[in-house]
Amino acid sequence: MEELLIKKLSFTKKPIPLPAEYRPMYKIALIVMILKYSCRAETSNLLKLHLLSWALASQKNMTELRDYVTSNFKSDFSVWGIEPALNRALQLAVAENICDIVNGKNYKLTEKGNKFFEMIKADIELFDIEKSFLTLIGKNTITDSRITSMTQKWNLFYVEN
Amino acid sequence: MLKIRAIKLEVNTTSGLFGAEYEFSNGLNIIRGDNTTGKSSLFQSILYGLGFEELLGGKNEKTMQTALKDQVEFPDGKFHLVNQSFVYLEIENKEIVTIKRGITSDSRKPQLVDVFPGALLTGNDKTLPSRPMFVHDKGGASDDIYGFHLFLSEFLDWSLPEVITTKGEMSHLYLQQIAPAFIIEQKSGWSDFFATLPYYPIRNTESRVVEFILDLDVFENQKRKQQLSSNKQQINTKWNLLFLQFNKLAEKCGGTLRGLEQNASIINSVGGIYIAMLKNEKEITLTDFNEQQKEELAELEKQQTTTVGSNINKNEEALKKLTDKLNQLSLNYEMLSPELNYDNEKLKQYTKQLEAVSEDLRKNKGALKVKSLGHELPAETADDSCPTCHQPIKDSLLPSEIKQTPMRIEDNVSFLEAQQKMIEVYIEGQEKVIREKEKKLLTYQTQLSETRQEIRDTKKELVQDERLPSVLEIEKRLNLKKKVEFFSKQIEDFTQLIEELKALSKELENLLTKEKNLPTDFFTLTDRKKLASLYDDFIALLKKFNYQSKPFDAIKISNENYLPVAEKSLDNGMKLAYNLKFDSSASDFIRCLWSYYTALFKTSVAFKTNHPMLLIFDEPKQQDMAIGNFKSFLSELSQFKEQQVLVFASFENSDDSFKEATQGLKFSLNRIEEKLIKPISI
Repeated sequence: MEELLIKKLSFTKKPIPLPAEYRPMYKIALIVMILKYSCRAETSNLLKLHLLSWALASQKNMTELRDYVTSNFKSDFSVWGIEPALNRALQLAVAENICDIVNGKNYKLTEKGNKFFEMIKADIELFDIEKSFLTLIGKNTITDSRITSMTQKWNLFYVEN
Repeated sequence: MLKIRAIKLEVNTTSGLFGAEYEFSNGLNIIRGDNTTGKSSLFQSILYGLGFEELLGGKNEKTMQTALKDQVEFPDGKFHLVNQSFVYLEIENKEIVTIKRGITSDSRKPQLVDVFPGALLTGNDKTLPSRPMFVHDKGGASDDIYGFHLFLSEFLDWSLPEVITTKGEMSHLYLQQIAPAFIIEQKSGWSDFFATLPYYPIRNTESRVVEFILDLDVFENQKRKQQLSSNKQQINTKWNLLFLQFNKLAEKCGGTLRGLEQNASIINSVGGIYIAMLKNEKEITLTDFNEQQKEELAELEKQQTTTVGSNINKNEEALKKLTDKLNQLSLNYEMLSPELNYDNEKLKQYTKQLEAVSEDLRKNKGALKVKSLGHELPAETADDSCPTCHQPIKDSLLPSEIKQTPMRIEDNVSFLEAQQKMIEVYIEGQEKVIREKEKKLLTYQTQLSETRQEIRDTKKELVQDERLPSVLEIEKRLNLKKKVEFFSKQIEDFTQLIEELKALSKELENLLTKEKNLPTDFFTLTDRKKLASLYDDFIALLKKFNYQSKPFDAIKISNENYLPVAEKSLDNGMKLAYNLKFDSSASDFIRCLWSYYTALFKTSVAFKTNHPMLLIFDEPKQQDMAIGNFKSFLSELSQFKEQQVLVFASFENSDDSFKEATQGLKFSLNRIEEKLIKPISI
């Protein structure tokens, strides 16, 4: 058998495809839309942001949350996902001065964030599904106390199990 | 030209009559009012009076400010509820008319407009007769009421051009679509060229509007081109229908259509199009198939009808053969059936995959857009740089310990598009496989039941009286006869379809020739002069307003949509054109908009085109524009002495800014003091 004469071997890492959910600007855009369309005073706590970001991840999640809301919070709604990617996007958004942290725990849209929102809004095709879903949810539907009671149910859920 | 002579607002409140009245002259009119005094209300009232409120993003009274429909605040902090409110607008072309339109009124719908033939506001005669008309839709008004926009276009001597809708039908361009070329609204008007253009299903509306405004001859040629392309679409639809008919016919015969493409194309010989039938596991054409059947029938008819007795041996042998055939067929059927189930399952999976990829693609395209929006915002994250420490970061939200490099979003999008295409090809192939197998299964089924019938008949005959004539043979003969008749009829239908196909192919050929003969360049000499003037004016104005984002020689006016584009040469010598917005800073883009609308106006004045010779800008001083540039803009606008320009501006609520911006210019001033809507004493 012939001997292979290899002097040097080099490997190049190929870039990998990434779901849009992991793109910083995509996630920041979602945060901006959530705060504007679905939060009173453009302010939200972390858990609500997680809830809506989770819902926007797929059509299935959106339907689930919508059914829960339209059934006047009577239907079964178990748990939603908490993803580190959103926290990272929030850090970036705060550093970009797109949102502010108020009272140490809530996120509020800044003037720059509002400007970004207007840019996103101006493009009708852009995020049409997300926009209509968040508009449907509306500002006054999921309140802080609603989030609290939902998470309390969570605790019970685990206790029972 | 369209000249706004005067406007009057009448608001009846619970505390009496409120309102405002302003007159405008030729040349530059500056309407100065501090923020929140109601400057935009006045601007919007002009639009409302003309029935152009779709530029504000809606129809009828809901587009108007609260001061005109719900409650008036005067002085600050004191509110009065509105009972009824009207806009009066006095306009002039060759004649003068006054328009009256209600915003809030119990007795009138907002679609109703009264038109008075004279100067109701500035003239002395207050007792003019009026004529009712409607805007947008009839809103319940009776049929003999005239359409206001029809009246307005006649008033302006505009014959509105016909354009092609997205459905391929002809329709007139709407006045509300032309308005964004000379009325620029504050909230979204400064975000893009023609940003407030209301949506109607008309193709390339911006281009059609500019062509109309500049009165370009290219319009006619374009129309012809669009007509041809819509004809082409009709041919394609007919072709598809015919294709379906062919397939249906093939299905009816239990065969497969060969040689015909699903998309319209010129056919030189129809010989290659046939229906393939399966005989003894081999494909033959429908015509050959029927010929063979005819021969078989003739053969049978030649033979004498035999008796049962003489057929016993033959029948026994035939029975054995038939049983073998039945077994073989059942086996085939049994094998194919689960295969088909498996294929269907696979198709379902592909479809699911396609959905997932399409959704991912939609999100990625969104991500790509927001990234470029973020670049404009500007956000450093969008440029892959950390907003805190300004070090380069990866375009990913994965934890930084993961050392993978993500694809650029652009690559990600093309990657997904490639995937989508691939899956679509899979699905198409899979569907074809399934169709073929289903057809085969169906053939097996018919053959099975035929064979069973034959076996039954043979068995029956074997136990019959030996002297009787053979029923089996008679039946076989009859069946064959029926089949021959059926297929002859189908062949007739097929020939007819082929004739239709030939005609359609001929039609397509003619159309393609016509399309080839269209001039590739639609512009006449005058068109070229106008476009050159538009370009020169545009560049000169950009220079004057101190535009800096791009070198001027890289800026062109597109020959397709007549909007300014930035041109970029690629390495391979190709030129890429894209919206100037993406390469201009925010304030420079405002300079582009100023220059473009003014250049359009200037060229129109020079060539005496269809432009209404009226320009209205609501708060053009956007993006903290330097006062010096704003002054150049106003000074440019003050040159139009014969025409009319209305500029609504706040001048940063400062007398100094106002003086600085308007020093030495000739203009008429309307100052909104305190509040636009004030009590009126009669």
